[in-house]
Amino acid sequence: MSEESPTLRIDFLLDTEYQYAVGQYGMRFFTGLRDHARFMGVRCPECGRVYIPPRPVCGICYRELQEWIEVGPEGTIVGWTVVRIPFIDPMTGEQRPVPYGFALIRLDGASTSLYHFLDEADERKIRVGQRVRAIFREKREGSLRDVLYFHLLEG
Amino acid sequence: MDEWIVRQKIRIPFRYTAGRAISRFLLGLAERRIWATRCEGCGRVYVPPLGFCGRCWREIAEWLELSDEGELVSYTVRPAKPPEIFGLIRLDGADSHLVHRLGEVEPTELERVVRVRAVWREDRTGSILDIAYFAPVRSKSLT
Amino acid sequence: MPRRVAIIATGQTKHAARRLDVNIRELITEAVTRALQDADLRMRDIDAVLLGNMEPFEGFLFPELWAVEGWGGYMKPSVKFNTGGTVGTTTAIAAYYYVASGIYDVVMAIGFEKQSEGHTQTAITTVGDPVWERSVMAGAIGNFAVMATTYMHESGVTEEQAAKAAVKARRNACLNEYAHLQMPDITVEDVLKSEMLAYPVKRLDMCPQSDGAVAVIFAEESKAQKLAPRPAWVRAVATAHEQQYMGDSPKRLAEMRSLVAASRRAYQAAGITNPRKELDVAEIYEVASFAELAMYENLGFCDRGEGGKLIDAGVTALTGELPVNPSGGVMSTNPIGATALIRVAEAALQIMGKAGGRQVEGARTALATGYGGNAWTDVIILSRERP
Repeated sequence: MSEESPTLRIDFLLDTEYQYAVGQYGMRFFTGLRDHARFMGVRCPECGRVYIPPRPVCGICYRELQEWIEVGPEGTIVGWTVVRIPFIDPMTGEQRPVPYGFALIRLDGASTSLYHFLDEADERKIRVGQRVRAIFREKREGSLRDVLYFHLLEG
Repeated sequence: MDEWIVRQKIRIPFRYTAGRAISRFLLGLAERRIWATRCEGCGRVYVPPLGFCGRCWREIAEWLELSDEGELVSYTVRPAKPPEIFGLIRLDGADSHLVHRLGEVEPTELERVVRVRAVWREDRTGSILDIAYFAPVRSKSLT
Repeated sequence: MPRRVAIIATGQTKHAARRLDVNIRELITEAVTRALQDADLRMRDIDAVLLGNMEPFEGFLFPELWAVEGWGGYMKPSVKFNTGGTVGTTTAIAAYYYVASGIYDVVMAIGFEKQSEGHTQTAITTVGDPVWERSVMAGAIGNFAVMATTYMHESGVTEEQAAKAAVKARRNACLNEYAHLQMPDITVEDVLKSEMLAYPVKRLDMCPQSDGAVAVIFAEESKAQKLAPRPAWVRAVATAHEQQYMGDSPKRLAEMRSLVAASRRAYQAAGITNPRKELDVAEIYEVASFAELAMYENLGFCDRGEGGKLIDAGVTALTGELPVNPSGGVMSTNPIGATALIRVAEAALQIMGKAGGRQVEGARTALATGYGGNAWTDVIILSRERP
């Protein structure tokens, strides 16, 4: 059937604006990031896991999380890649610039990891276990963009 | 501080495959012709055409051409300047309905509109918009 | 007590990068018609229809509504599911529940997707949390690449070993008339030299984007025995969910918590203690070469860190001790809303003895998995013996 002749195609651009609420825990995190260049996680009273992004409930123990703890700003690479495949960024409808390096980073003191950019796009220079440090913007607005990227530390 | 939102867009281009029956329908529109299909099982006349009747679960092979006139079954008005009017239209001989724009009519007149006909664009490309809109068929006694 | 349930028929489209000859409705009809023919049924014999699909790829809500007359839904009881990559197995498990409950006797599960109409990486990126993940994420390829570097670090698996899984998939696919990527001459070298998408994932390590649909018919015991000469009985189903963010699971691919939990639950329900010995064939949702090796470990086919050795030894080859993905798997065919249900259909074909050139001789127990969303896993075990 696939050998049959192609039929007409119709173009359509999906273009919709959303307003996402960051939530109570997100607000506290982003306030700390904006005003003090500080990462705040929450600790589970039962299992001791420190969560970042912060959230109201530990999904494993199902306990409410109320104890705020500063984590980072240094951390360790848990997994990483350098994106080379061009693809359309859903946030702009345009091609996202490549290559760029990004990683799952476990901030010191946290039990979970955060996705963020690396300041390196050479595959030979990045490895799991490598130490990194957050580089903050001078003028911060209260979003993850307040962290420009994570800088690879020596050794 | 009780509210904190992140504004973000989702902007993705798509390209849909029209399929066999709809392609023939769209190419017909470019020639100012409206193609429909008729199911030999239930006798229903589908426009836009279906190549397969889901009710009878059988292929449809019979094609027929309909006129570009029909009955206005329902409508709605989107308040804008000028107002945008959308109608549900049953073309003569069809058992299904087309959704399209209505023109040459004021919202206040809609209640009295019974018959409509297609107003075709000059630059047709094989699109549902080759019909610019449907306009009321006004009998001479009313004008 | 749940009733006994079996798969009695399957139908697939010819999967391809672009099926420009048909729209979604026509694509679905192709699979549904083949499934009905497989069991010599009419649409009126089907009591309920369940569908799986992942709308971001089509860009509009409810593509199944637009296509309703293509899948026989008119006036039938029906539900549509979207659970991401798992949706095909979610739909299969739901069909099992529908029949096992005693409420419906014959239920059809359908999966479909037309990747060619949108942008797969772009749509998958919208799966990422908009506040925390989306601006960094790069679709499934980026996610899998990050998981793969963790897995390589933990297990010592090499790019060459992963490439072997990619080669196995595309060669097996040549025996499957429905498969999308059929590459009889592909070599490990070809995979290693293919374009780097996101380290360590190269183009030939990754699944393709396909247009395709699949339909699978489930029936209760008496109808199953009447309608199918050799039905594929559902022995066990299990689902497990991960935590919400990509960074919540400590080792991701190296330790797939949801796959471990769901498979152990299913093994226990089916009375399986040594999956490598007791399973005859597996159709797993492997997505990328590295993921297949990690899944061997997490499914208990080998010990931790041994996934690479298992492929080296040919254990999972079509002629090996436990063939994995004789169909060519996800790396050969990936219409995402259908992909996990294709795993179930292929596992059923093996039990029914209808797998043609990719048949594993004497297959009596088969495993199918689905994987997606945020590392969510479904596991289904089918058997020739009535449970």
